[in-house]
Amino acid sequence: MTTADPALPRPRPLATGGLAVVRRNPLLVVLVAMVLIFQLTTGSFLDPANLSGIATDAATLAIVAVPLALLVISGYLDLSVGSTLALGGLVGGWLAGQHHQSPAVALLGALAAGALVGAVNGVLCCWFGLSAFIVTLGMLTAVRGLAQQLFPLPLSGFGSGFAWIGGARVAGIAAPVVIAALVLAAGALFLAFTPAGRHVFAIGVNREAAHLSGIHIRRTPFALFVATGVAAALAGAIKASVLDSAVAGTSGAGFELTVLTAVLLGGVALTGGTGSILGVLLGVLFLGGLQNGLTLLNVPTFWQQMAQGVALVAGAALACFAPRTGR
Amino acid sequence: MTTTTLRISGLTKSFGGVRALDGVDLTVPAGQVHALLGHNGAGKSTLIKCLGGAYPPDAGTIEVGGTSYTRLTPRASIASGVAIIFQTLSVVDALTVAENIFLGQEWTRHGRIDRRAQEEVAAGLMERVAAKCSPRDRVGDLPMGQRQLVEIAKALSRSAAVLVLDEPTAALSGAETDALAQRVEDLRTQGLAIVYVTHLLGEVERLADAVTVLRDGRVAHHATVSGRTRRELVEAIAGRPTEVVPKSPRPPAPPRLIAEDLRGPGFGPVGLSVAEGERVGLFGLIGSGRTRILETLYGRRRATAGTIRVGDRTVAPARPADALAAGIALVPADRRAQGLFPSMTAQDNALLPSVKPLSRLGVRALRSERRVFDGLATAVGLRPARSRLPAGAFSGGNQQKLVLGRWINEARHVDVLLLDEPTQGVDVGARQEIYRVVSTLAEERGTAVLFASSDPEEVVALADRCLIVARGRIVGELSGTELTEQALLSAVHAPLTAEGAA
Repeated sequence: MTTADPALPRPRPLATGGLAVVRRNPLLVVLVAMVLIFQLTTGSFLDPANLSGIATDAATLAIVAVPLALLVISGYLDLSVGSTLALGGLVGGWLAGQHHQSPAVALLGALAAGALVGAVNGVLCCWFGLSAFIVTLGMLTAVRGLAQQLFPLPLSGFGSGFAWIGGARVAGIAAPVVIAALVLAAGALFLAFTPAGRHVFAIGVNREAAHLSGIHIRRTPFALFVATGVAAALAGAIKASVLDSAVAGTSGAGFELTVLTAVLLGGVALTGGTGSILGVLLGVLFLGGLQNGLTLLNVPTFWQQMAQGVALVAGAALACFAPRTGR
Repeated sequence: MTTTTLRISGLTKSFGGVRALDGVDLTVPAGQVHALLGHNGAGKSTLIKCLGGAYPPDAGTIEVGGTSYTRLTPRASIASGVAIIFQTLSVVDALTVAENIFLGQEWTRHGRIDRRAQEEVAAGLMERVAAKCSPRDRVGDLPMGQRQLVEIAKALSRSAAVLVLDEPTAALSGAETDALAQRVEDLRTQGLAIVYVTHLLGEVERLADAVTVLRDGRVAHHATVSGRTRRELVEAIAGRPTEVVPKSPRPPAPPRLIAEDLRGPGFGPVGLSVAEGERVGLFGLIGSGRTRILETLYGRRRATAGTIRVGDRTVAPARPADALAAGIALVPADRRAQGLFPSMTAQDNALLPSVKPLSRLGVRALRSERRVFDGLATAVGLRPARSRLPAGAFSGGNQQKLVLGRWINEARHVDVLLLDEPTQGVDVGARQEIYRVVSTLAEERGTAVLFASSDPEEVVALADRCLIVARGRIVGELSGTELTEQALLSAVHAPLTAEGAA
């Protein structure tokens, strides 16, 4: 009988480069399969116009998913983003439409509102040690209520300046897509190349050990709460700009769950400590593509919602039962 | 009564290559109190867990009341008549005494719990263990000693023949300790075979008929207790007659770490000083306050009074980051809970506090990080020296080297290194390497080393000087030729027996 020497780890499979990426992100395979199926059944899924539509839809999702993923990796959670999105759109639209402010000022106002919500979440969770689930669930309701109190009537007619936020094109690409790409790149670079990126993982894996290593275990997650709030408000401003309308009762309703689904599908563990921005991108593209493809196939909305839910649970089941490889 | 109630033979259990138990024999006849002694990590807990069915042994047999088992499940263990009273009791605070005793074996009448019958039987059992509480008392309202008796009564209700008590007096007051000793003697008279795990020689002398000492997973000593002196028992635990390793006298050096009149919850006042390049041990039993003292010096706990100085600078660390800025670093005792990031790579683990100091303009210096990691991997003798392997895949000893390496690398400057149980769960080979690394650090860089340990062997191996800690205070000091395992064990037990006699 031989016992394994603990000093010698099990040999790793000889997968490198591209193959390793696929192994770490099984969603990639699912995504490719989904694209093929939709292309074969609809015939128009891969048309440039449709792809650009998907990208625009997925952009707001990605903008919020990136900071939210970082927050989840550090062991926290934010469920309030749907309401923050609504508040951001309303504040931005109100500044531009009622007060005729420049789009820059309107946007800054919206982002400030988001930062405020994020800061409240952050203080309660990081300094007072309250459960992020409870705090942000409460904020989801409270912020929605606040938005309805402040803006009881639907807003619209924000003017051409504000429309520019969501409608401008940079080198032929829609502004929201460009912003999303920047956010994704910033998130990936942050995780890989900054000390704080290491700290985010460390806090998520073992908060006490991180504390004893001299890391600021409150400051970093607090900053991520604020970033998530700002991102949600930015997404709200973009949506309001594209639609030229913002409604306190319905804007961004359910958005928090869609974003969280994308993040979790992307392989970010709800328990913290694992995840990647590439995974988040795949999660966002998968959800955006799924919704778009099913719409092209004239599948009713409730079936689409069911598909989204089944995908999440199936993803969790696969992650749970698949043999553990790599890290 | 001559029937052997418990007979363990050749019990062996390994964890990932480390032998926690290596052919252990232990025989406890009915009506005997058998003390089980040994340092932390000697294999006592593993033995108990095999007996309780929590771990399947790799080899060997456990015979209870004539039936032989090669492995037990928790249910089979209880059914065979084994009852284990762990240090952390498994009573349910929210239930009454009677409900606890009958938990999982409720008496029913017409499908409903027969409270009255349960309470009657419970009252009888409580009388048998001479408990002062009523069967209707809520267990959460009872003092610790009474809760323990409830658990023993529960064992008796399941007609236990073998009772294992795991450091039963650790959480008890003096009076409760005496009461428990009385109960143990009663139960011996009633014919139970009792395995009594303890660190306290006073209890061994008072209660035990026989003693088995474990060291590194083997039976190091086995004897009957009667007529033995404490000295002989101490030598049995230490394993060999006094072996004086003459320590070269250290040239006087200026003090690096000074704590004066330091107090905090559970300890104090404590005054201590560690010189440049000096290695000082804090020796004491679990709960003596060693860890609290270290954690207060490191800012994990707040001091309620006193001053801490590093060189000439006074520091009042409110959090570990403050202590680190002052040059104080800590290697915590509980590696899993406080030290390691198992899913992160070896390099991320060892360099976590160094990534920021190495970075330039907020960007990680990946090449420098790699160079620093390679340097520290060589310095601590990391095996395998693979930077990208997750820390969880390393052995306990190499995990400890990663945690230690966090403070021993060129990106960090540490004046004072605190270590809490530096080799807990570390195999013998890695233990020597860790001693070497720490000693080198003290000698070559003049780092002041202060470490807490409950292992006298470790203190003798590593310390220039040792402070004895008991009940949150420093009660003695040993250095030079006085610093022996025997002297340490006698010193730490002296105050307790003195109090017990009073």
